[in-house]
Amino acid sequence: MAGPGIPAYLGVAVFLFVTGAFGVLLRRSPLIVLLSLEIMLNGANLALIAFSRHWGNGDGQIFAISVMAVAAAEVVVGLGLIVAMARKKLNLDVDELSSLKG
Amino acid sequence: MVAAAWICLLLPLAGALLITLLGNVLSRKAAGVLATSSVAGAFVAAAVAFVTMLGDGEQHRSHLSTGFTWLSAGSFQADFSILLDPLSLVMMLVITGVGSLIVLYSIGYMHGDNEERRFFGYMALFVFSMLLLVQGGNLLLLLVGWGLVGLSSYLLIGFWHEKPSAVAAAKKAFIINAIGDATFAIAIIVIIQQTHIVGFDALSALNPDNHGVLNLVALGLLGGAVAKSAQLPLHTWLPDAMEGPTPVSALIHAATMVTAGVYLIARCHTVFESAHQVQNIAAGIGALTIVVAGAIALVQTDIKRVIAYSTMSQIGYMFVGVGLGAYASSMFHLMTHAFFKALLFMGAGIVIHALSGEQDIRQMGGLRKLMPRTYVMMLIASLALIGFPLTSGFFSKDAILAGALASGPYGAALWVIGMIGALLTGVYTSRMFLTVFHGAPGDLVLRQLGPDAHGQGATTDGHGHGEGPRTMLIPVAILTVLALGGGFIQVFDWWTGMQTWLESVVPSLHEPTGWQEAISSIGAPLLGLVGVTFGWAVYGSRKDTAPKPSRSLEHKLYFDELYDRIAYAPAAFIARFVTRLIEGPLVIGSGDLVGHVTRGAGEKARLLQNGLVRSYALLIALSFAVMGIVFLAVR
Repeated sequence: MAGPGIPAYLGVAVFLFVTGAFGVLLRRSPLIVLLSLEIMLNGANLALIAFSRHWGNGDGQIFAISVMAVAAAEVVVGLGLIVAMARKKLNLDVDELSSLKG
Repeated sequence: MVAAAWICLLLPLAGALLITLLGNVLSRKAAGVLATSSVAGAFVAAAVAFVTMLGDGEQHRSHLSTGFTWLSAGSFQADFSILLDPLSLVMMLVITGVGSLIVLYSIGYMHGDNEERRFFGYMALFVFSMLLLVQGGNLLLLLVGWGLVGLSSYLLIGFWHEKPSAVAAAKKAFIINAIGDATFAIAIIVIIQQTHIVGFDALSALNPDNHGVLNLVALGLLGGAVAKSAQLPLHTWLPDAMEGPTPVSALIHAATMVTAGVYLIARCHTVFESAHQVQNIAAGIGALTIVVAGAIALVQTDIKRVIAYSTMSQIGYMFVGVGLGAYASSMFHLMTHAFFKALLFMGAGIVIHALSGEQDIRQMGGLRKLMPRTYVMMLIASLALIGFPLTSGFFSKDAILAGALASGPYGAALWVIGMIGALLTGVYTSRMFLTVFHGAPGDLVLRQLGPDAHGQGATTDGHGHGEGPRTMLIPVAILTVLALGGGFIQVFDWWTGMQTWLESVVPSLHEPTGWQEAISSIGAPLLGLVGVTFGWAVYGSRKDTAPKPSRSLEHKLYFDELYDRIAYAPAAFIARFVTRLIEGPLVIGSGDLVGHVTRGAGEKARLLQNGLVRSYALLIALSFAVMGIVFLAVR
């Protein structure tokens, strides 16, 4: 099996995940938050595939494909929400979406 | 014969079920006719059984017939069976005979009531319950019948359920009877525990040397008998039960149910004979009741209550009889008492009916001319109650007194009390009779029955005034004949019909001698007549019920007040106490506490929901971080 070993893949995966997480936590535009979420999911997918390769079976890859399907669905819902917000001429700022405050 | 007994038992049940299930399909009149014919049919069946049994040999008159196995648990088994023997047959004849007359009478009496069908359904149910009580082939079925008569008595006392006093009286009767039911049930449980069987043969299977158990069983049975028969100290329900319709008082509270206690003691006489002291207590209670009830009857102003106290007093005689071993005489008095007391109640019912529901004897008076037929039959009933020679009450009461005299010194003491009771009977009976029928008519009487009252006429049928429709007068006439001549089935020791008939089931313990018979038969009527003379002198001329009655008698010797103090007041006090200290803080309080805590927690927890999506995300991230650290640390 050629190529770099598992630690390298995991390192990239962690980098992607943390980047995404910071994006989710720090950015206020829902569009960017959604993008960052995708980056987090991709980090996780990378880790799954790396482990799959490490153990030499396909389970992780199948799992990754399911995650991608879920991510696609989630993007559909998320973008739909954002379009609806734009139509209502709301500010695209997640901090202002606080009407469910207790 | 056994088939006839089953028919006798089940016909009234069928009548009750039909009336209940058909409901509005049945006209009111038809419900009355159906109830009457089912009870009358039961009487015919009982009569057939009686005639058949007469042909049997004396030792072959007891028949136990099993319908099916009712309960079975391990080796214990209770059948649904009936016992047909001379004792139960006497009761069956009295119940169905007097019962059918009274149900017939109530067709007229209840005419125009809103819920006639319900009334007749209850009446038929009662007759079935009473028949089950006397025919039940084992103690458990006897208890079932015992409970069912309590239920139907409750339903019938409270029949006019829009009247609060009737509802209260019904509850009172049921609760006081429940005390008796409980002691009765305890006795049966002890019997089952001792002998593992539940038939009447269990009574003789009890170990005769184990006095503790025998006394306990006898006391339990006695408790049931005392409550059901309204003897001291559990008698307070009977006067109140007069709130029910008058036919109910005649059937249940004079002729049949209240005598069930006498039947119970006679049926279980083996136990009572082994537990001698308890049997003496039974006789003592009876004697005490004779005098106390007789004295209270002196001052009551409600005509039905006077008769009710008189009933208690007469059942006291029966208790003296069964308590001293004069079983046949007691059963004899039970029968004649059923005749003349039902007659008294029905006569009172005619008077009340004619006066549109008035029951106060002070409002009555001078009815002799206005209701001549009622006058004659009430006269005969009163004479039988006093024990006037050759009426039915004469033979039976004197038989009990003679039996008491024959049973020894204790019996002689009770004999004296019985004699005093005879005197009291004379006084209160003449007071009631003279106040109602003699003297000058009161305003109410003139208004209802006087010459210018509308609807006047002695034979109006329908619901008009006068002496009532034919359905009321015919049963009354038949009972008048029975009250007059019913005593001739046993005349001293010359012709002992009842004694011989019951000899194989409940042999009497003592045989009165000639002079004992003579002194009782002369003494009791004589004292009764002295009482009547006294009553005539005091109440004959005057309209008011002079002399001024004693306060304690007017308050029925404060029994109700006493029970109020010792039972109701402490219970109410404890209930208030428990409400304040337990119900309040613990039950209601704990509910409040749960509410407060969850609400407070909610108030606090809601602050976590600040609506900032990013802070949620931060919390999720932080918690994952913490979890990751923990997992790494504990690995």
